[in-house]
Amino acid sequence: MALIRTEKLCKSFDTTPVLKDIDLSVEQGEVVCLIGPSGAGKSTFLRSLNQLEKITSGKIFIDEELFLHREANVTVSRAEQSEYKRLLLEMGMVFQSFNLFPHKTAIENVALAPIYVKKTPRAEARDKARELLAKVGLAEKENEFPSHLSGGQQQRVAIARALAMNPKIMLFDEPTSALDPELVGEVLTVMRGLAENGMTMLVVTHEMTFAREAASRVIFMCDGTVAEQAEPSKIFTAPDNPRTKQFLSGVL
Amino acid sequence: MTKKTRNILVIIAAVAAVFVWLAAAKPSRDEMTRSLSQQLISDAGSRYSETYYDYMVFSVIRGRNVKTAVNDTYIGIAGTVAAINEGFPEKIADVLFWIPRLLSGTAVTISLTIVSVFAGLFGGVLLAFGKMSKKKILNRICGCYIFFFRGTPLLMQLFFIYYGLPQISVELTINNKFLAAFIAFSLNSAAYCAEYIRAALQSIDKGQFEASKALGFGYAQTMLLVIIPQSIRRMIPSISNEFIMILKDASLVSIIALSDLSHATRSISSSTGTALVYIPAMIIYLIITAFFTFIFNRLEKRFSIYQ
Repeated sequence: MALIRTEKLCKSFDTTPVLKDIDLSVEQGEVVCLIGPSGAGKSTFLRSLNQLEKITSGKIFIDEELFLHREANVTVSRAEQSEYKRLLLEMGMVFQSFNLFPHKTAIENVALAPIYVKKTPRAEARDKARELLAKVGLAEKENEFPSHLSGGQQQRVAIARALAMNPKIMLFDEPTSALDPELVGEVLTVMRGLAENGMTMLVVTHEMTFAREAASRVIFMCDGTVAEQAEPSKIFTAPDNPRTKQFLSGVL
Repeated sequence: MTKKTRNILVIIAAVAAVFVWLAAAKPSRDEMTRSLSQQLISDAGSRYSETYYDYMVFSVIRGRNVKTAVNDTYIGIAGTVAAINEGFPEKIADVLFWIPRLLSGTAVTISLTIVSVFAGLFGGVLLAFGKMSKKKILNRICGCYIFFFRGTPLLMQLFFIYYGLPQISVELTINNKFLAAFIAFSLNSAAYCAEYIRAALQSIDKGQFEASKALGFGYAQTMLLVIIPQSIRRMIPSISNEFIMILKDASLVSIIALSDLSHATRSISSSTGTALVYIPAMIIYLIITAFFTFIFNRLEKRFSIYQ
């Protein structure tokens, strides 16, 4: 069953088209990596899914339920309000620049949304947060403010924060691009762990090693379209599309 | 001991020393009255008019003529300082005489400043959200309000509210001078605070909004839990600035004859003919400013523990 499916998803900034008729689906348990040159629309696609960008036209299905349908910048239909919010929260988002709340400690960052959005009792939310922080290897940092954590640690807190809402799919928007090279590994390790535990993930990344090793499917995007999608072993060794070949020869 | 505590102790010690010296000099009430009546006699005797400027010239000339200062050195170092001008102990008597009036003026100044800034902050929050609102009408109204109150002199606004409104309609008359001043100051302060608040809110990284949205927070929750707590720290320096500006602008109320610190100072100056009363008045202003700067700095530190 497809967790997320898009039909003819288009997005333009003013008159510049960024995404052109994207038809994509992500199945339960899949780890999908989106790769491609900058400006290809990878991040925009991810952000369109959880409504950080308003799509111009197209349909988004979550859990095979119609989440949003827009045509020519007008919402034609969308899930009913409470359902809409529930579906939106099935997607957890991890940002390139972490976007942790700087005035909250690590554990407060993780527990904040469960307490105020899901109305989880405070103690329970904190226990869960503590558990998640331990899972990303930061058990002893729970009372630190983000400014006292390294980039890699901040990103791991951000992953725990997204996980705290029990999402069915995790969206990663270039999670390691803002990190010093020596900190990339710890974040990728956490992501690999998630993938091994069966979390569905959609990852925009420039880490080709990660894509090759952890992905179940790799999508190459180019000029706002899906140029090619295949298993990593195929796409990294014998890509069909000449653009893929050209891109990979540049980055590998 | 930090440098700051040491500085504070030095200031306290200096103030204490002044009081000890005053106590030792013991200017009795008789002396004070005498010095005052002497002044009145010499004032009357002089052919100078009673206007303030003439008096200033008069006292300066009188001070220069004194040459017997050396005799007064018996009161020690203080005496040496005092001896530069024979009239100095008299002046101290004067200061003690002025202080009650200055202090009652100070009370007016401080209370007016505090209530105005608080009301201004409250209005500022509403205006700031109004100006950031996507509703065009609300946005325009708040914009015009801010434009008007920042674009015209506070003096005129105060004048208009006290003298102009009754001429439009008698029902709009505000008899209480303090109330009139409070209305003018808080309306004006709200316009400035609105801009400070808006600037602080808009300086928050848009990633914070995105993260909040992705986690399912609504607009109100995002503001209350994420944006406002972060922007308060950024507002404090400008609010502190606004506070000090209003404190000093409060001197404008003398045009509607509300007896604040500046008005009291001026009326003492014109009735006694000495401009020296401005020295203790300015010291009082400095003390208030120092006190509130200290409070605001503490607040800023408290709100920036996470950095």
